[in-house]
Amino acid sequence: MCCGRRMTGGMGENMYLTDEEQGVLDGQRGEPQRLALRVLVKLGEACGAERMVEIASAHLVASSYQIAGEAGIEIYSQLVAQGARVRVRTTSDPGSIDFARWREFKTPEQYAARQVKIAALLDQMGVIPTWTCTPYTTFNVPRFGDHLGWSESSAVVFVNSVIGARTNRLAAYVDLCAALTGRVPCFGLHLSENRRGEILFELTPDLAANFADHYFPALGYLVGQTVGDKVPVIVGLPGATFDQLKAFGAASAASGSVALYHMVGITPEARSLEEACGGRVPAERIVVGQREIAGIMEQMGAAADGPVDVVGIGCPHASIDQMRRYAALLDGKQVHSDTQLWVCTNVVVEEMARKMGYVAIIERAGAKLMVGTCHNDCPLGAWGFRRLVTDSGKFAYYTPTTVGTQCVFASTEACIQAAIAGKVERS
Amino acid sequence: MSQPQRVLQARGCAAGQFEGEMVVSRQPFGFWQGLDPETGVVIDKRHDLCGVSIKGKAFVFPYGRGSTGTPGIFLEAVRNGCAPSAIINVKSEPMIIMCALLAEAFFKVAIPIVDGLDVPAQEALRTGDRVRIDGATGRVEILGRELAGSQAVVKE
Repeated sequence: MCCGRRMTGGMGENMYLTDEEQGVLDGQRGEPQRLALRVLVKLGEACGAERMVEIASAHLVASSYQIAGEAGIEIYSQLVAQGARVRVRTTSDPGSIDFARWREFKTPEQYAARQVKIAALLDQMGVIPTWTCTPYTTFNVPRFGDHLGWSESSAVVFVNSVIGARTNRLAAYVDLCAALTGRVPCFGLHLSENRRGEILFELTPDLAANFADHYFPALGYLVGQTVGDKVPVIVGLPGATFDQLKAFGAASAASGSVALYHMVGITPEARSLEEACGGRVPAERIVVGQREIAGIMEQMGAAADGPVDVVGIGCPHASIDQMRRYAALLDGKQVHSDTQLWVCTNVVVEEMARKMGYVAIIERAGAKLMVGTCHNDCPLGAWGFRRLVTDSGKFAYYTPTTVGTQCVFASTEACIQAAIAGKVERS
Repeated sequence: MSQPQRVLQARGCAAGQFEGEMVVSRQPFGFWQGLDPETGVVIDKRHDLCGVSIKGKAFVFPYGRGSTGTPGIFLEAVRNGCAPSAIINVKSEPMIIMCALLAEAFFKVAIPIVDGLDVPAQEALRTGDRVRIDGATGRVEILGRELAGSQAVVKE
């Protein structure tokens, strides 16, 4: 399995390291790699890894000032001063500002300057400035079976589950350690035995037959809340689109710590229930029907009728398909003067949507594009928002804290309707 | 040195020594959007410790959850001197262990982490009690409450 040698004493005594890795730990490739590999080996030891594994790519979550803060700037500055460069393809998560429109979003100038500083530091390390939580759609597209060093919980759960690549939920900065060394410790979801489904969710035929688009994030939220960090298996769904899988996973990774799910007949490691569970019997079986879905939606954002300050769609970042859908719903309409409708996406989708005329329609309706960031990553205190409506399970989970608002969870159509009406009208 | 009332054997996840007060929660915790790194106070409105400071304490909670941005907030708190100084979990997920490894690598601060205590042992941990933790060996010593220089016995 491994051609390395067993180290004796101290650092890495419980792991096999190759000669190259030992050389890195001895400082042969400079201080940033030495420091980075040291963190990764210690992590591996704590988590029972026997060796390191080379990765195809990395994705960094502490690219936003909101997450990185001054501590991050200190860390990045130190690494850049020591000549740090990424060794594998590495992309950046959303930042804390829309680089083109931060003034429109009332971002304090000093705050924006700190984000620009982070951008410059990441640039110096060779990071691709994607500023998106969906890097897997462009620029950083993993293949089935690839080992990766990714963070951003919604992206991790997507590439593991929908693509069949292999990454643990790396933490901020540990993702950079992976990028700098091109390696991660081999434990958790890098190993086939840990990818088997453990908890079975069975949809009732009635629910499966009437499974609305916004039930995907709702089901994800329910699943995450139920399983924590275990691997759920969902049976009974007739199908799912790319964006529905994205929404499901993001919700499950927010309300719980789901890093991998299987949907039988839909995701690549679950062509059958038996394959999804690796031949084992699931530890638990949970039946989900209309009542359970209604219950979780109530929990995600029950609210009485009333005015709405802000509507958030495009979490995770909207695809071109979603932009088309938003444009169709907004065509010829006007967002209410007391309400903000913000559409979060990345610069690639923005450009394509512009070429296709969707941006013009969306902006003519009075909605704003929020590019390379989102409601959760931006400082929005100056707006004084009290009530947010969203179609995202991840927003529903985080915005009560990040934006300090009440939250209403609704379908995409209902979100846009609320933006136009300036209020929620629950049927 | 005060004598322990009770010694528990946990699993050492991150090296370091701690002696001081515990803050105990029975709920999972997410640092990102859960902790104010400027003060060390819990800000998650859904959490049972909301409004309580964990700065400099041994923070006891079942397991971590939530965002991969966790070390962003954690290290900001470390930089500000507002992080917990030790952690005891039922199960330490890699995310929490990563926080301690990064604090040591980039800020030279050792935050011992131990896990794997069984349920009765977890229940012996009480907010306000003093505790001594060795993150390398996993040894946890409950020292009880300190009242006016004497050792108060905590009723079980």
